[in-house]
Amino acid sequence: MHNFRSVSLLLVTCALAGCSRNQSAPPPATQSAVKVASIDLGRAIAADKTVADQTDSFRPADTIYASVKTEGSAASARLSARWTYEGDQVVSESTQSIAPSGPAVTEFHVSKPDGWPEGSYKVEVSLNGAPAGHKEFKVKP
Amino acid sequence: MGIFGPKKEKTKPDFSNVKSGGSSTAPEAPPDLAPTPTSGGTYVVAKGDSLSKIAQRHYGKASEWRRIYEANKDVIKDPDLIYPGQQLKIPAAEKA
Repeated sequence: MHNFRSVSLLLVTCALAGCSRNQSAPPPATQSAVKVASIDLGRAIAADKTVADQTDSFRPADTIYASVKTEGSAASARLSARWTYEGDQVVSESTQSIAPSGPAVTEFHVSKPDGWPEGSYKVEVSLNGAPAGHKEFKVKP
Repeated sequence: MGIFGPKKEKTKPDFSNVKSGGSSTAPEAPPDLAPTPTSGGTYVVAKGDSLSKIAQRHYGKASEWRRIYEANKDVIKDPDLIYPGQQLKIPAAEKA
């Protein structure tokens, strides 16, 4: 009887230890956060929103594309692009709210019907309000 | 005025007619899930914008347009009239 009780206790203890181990096991790896992986500039984009001809030099008549690759997933992420001229003059600002479930590409584009003034420009990308990277480029005649 | 005459100030280019847009391979987030910014910022009015649309974009609620209007009374005379290229201050979202 005593032996039976000991064996039973041992079995119960093992079972509990097993449960406890399962409970403390780390959750399966998931990508819970979104981050910006890269920013590319170009004059055109492909169907997958990636830039076909990366460049940092544009002509006044060009439409300028910024292709932003993100990784991770989120129910909602706010991706913004802020375009500036010669350091301080804001050219344009736009935002897209996305719900990525893995790698994604988001493009922003700007155009100016009467042509871009020659000079230095910058596009700053932010994710949920936090700076996530920037690219500088020039417009030359 | 100096001995070389009045200093010429470089005029800033006009970007009010800039067209912007974008798209993504990721699905668009439902408006009610769009995160609200915790810090303010500036926004350049684009063609077709209204204060309600800007408020919807930044706060997730079109009804918050008055907050933007109140913060920009120096540049907005009539809340129904805003112009492409106008630079607006976007007050920080109120924390819940």
